[in-house]
Amino acid sequence: MFKIEEGEPFVMTKNKKMEQVEQFLIENQNAHYRLAYSYVKNKENALDIVQDSIFKALKSIHSLEEIKYLKTWFYRILVNTSIDFIRKHQRMTVMDDEVLDGYLPQTEDEPTDIDLLDALDTLSPDEKSLIILRFFEDLKIDEVAAILDENSNTVKTRLYRTLKKLRIEIEKGDLE
Amino acid sequence: MKRMNKLKKEYDDIEIPPELDNLVKDSIQRAKNTKKKHSPIRNWSIGVAAAAALFVGSINASPTFANSLMNIPVLGSIVQVFTIETLTMEKETYQANMKTPAIDGLDNEELQLALNGKYIEENKALFTKFEEEIARLEEDGSGHLGMDSGYEVKADTEQILSIARYETTTAGSSFTEMQYDTIDKQHNILLTLPSLFKDDSYIGIITTYIKQEMKRQMEEDENTAYLAVEGADVEFRSIQANQDFYITADHTLVISFDQYEVAPGYMGVVTFEIPSDILQDALVGDTYIQ
Repeated sequence: MFKIEEGEPFVMTKNKKMEQVEQFLIENQNAHYRLAYSYVKNKENALDIVQDSIFKALKSIHSLEEIKYLKTWFYRILVNTSIDFIRKHQRMTVMDDEVLDGYLPQTEDEPTDIDLLDALDTLSPDEKSLIILRFFEDLKIDEVAAILDENSNTVKTRLYRTLKKLRIEIEKGDLE
Repeated sequence: MKRMNKLKKEYDDIEIPPELDNLVKDSIQRAKNTKKKHSPIRNWSIGVAAAAALFVGSINASPTFANSLMNIPVLGSIVQVFTIETLTMEKETYQANMKTPAIDGLDNEELQLALNGKYIEENKALFTKFEEEIARLEEDGSGHLGMDSGYEVKADTEQILSIARYETTTAGSSFTEMQYDTIDKQHNILLTLPSLFKDDSYIGIITTYIKQEMKRQMEEDENTAYLAVEGADVEFRSIQANQDFYITADHTLVISFDQYEVAPGYMGVVTFEIPSDILQDALVGDTYIQ
């Protein structure tokens, strides 16, 4: 017996699929930009990554087998493009002034929460992905696992470890 | 989770630049256009048909034609390329600079006319697109846009003339497309990639070489990135039968890819020189490539 999921067409034409992907890209552009930005910390590069990811996505649209995987499929491209970018450009990351100020010696002792502001930047790109996807983008553990190509248990363990590193106390249910 | 909430707030506060919306719509449009342009089956058949037509044409014409040309040794060097028209626009945030090349001195006037006509049409279309785009940006408030087109003579010898034409659009980040025409000045024909080879074995030979070369370059320089790697989001599988190409003055075949075609955007347009010796067995002859 075929099981057809509610609200989703069983067969989708190519054009229809393209339309849905386009709509998704336009509607969620802010989220995509924020995600890219949090890796590279720079407007121009973040825009480049968004652009690159759209190109990659639309050129490989055939690899999206079911429309219900649209979000995880695109996030995977976006995360990989961002991490690739950091790797290639590690030595020449342009920093925004605000970020740069954080590294410069301070003239006055301001009791800011520098600790917290920089906390995310102490993480490796992979750890960053975990935190952003699970807590900022509110994705389920299974979805995070699919995007990062890991199994759910590995993701849970690594999330737990990363949260500890950030000194964030974990409450029951956060990892579910 | 107080710290987490603070972090999330910081994330949500990341400022969205106003140009994002246009960039996204633009990228979608462009990705769709390049897709259409490279639709493999359609291009294949046109390429083959054109190559066949040109070959039949030139063989029929050649015995007397070739002889008469040989008696005039300087003929090849009379052919020249010059700029016929420059369209420019300089407004605060909008810049365009479009140069149209024209070829002069080809014996085959029909071919010359067709090429020159094509160049003019293309640049006109580009300028119209530019104006439309500006109108759209103005409707949304304002924006930045730059378009640049022009040409470069890649080779000009007794035998061949290779012209490369580029088209760069800048809106936040930029996108460049390259097109090439290689003309046999002595036989007055426009060369296509399939017409240089006996059969389609060249596709495999060139693809294998380029894949190796991509890997080699990536190992040598870590700032170099291609999509050749297995498991990449869009793995490079094969060149097109009528992939963009040109021939250098020293008879080497150069294969070219548009920006984004096989590498991330920051790599720009990428080209590969193909060593002539690996092509030897597949070539029709050594007139063009040696």
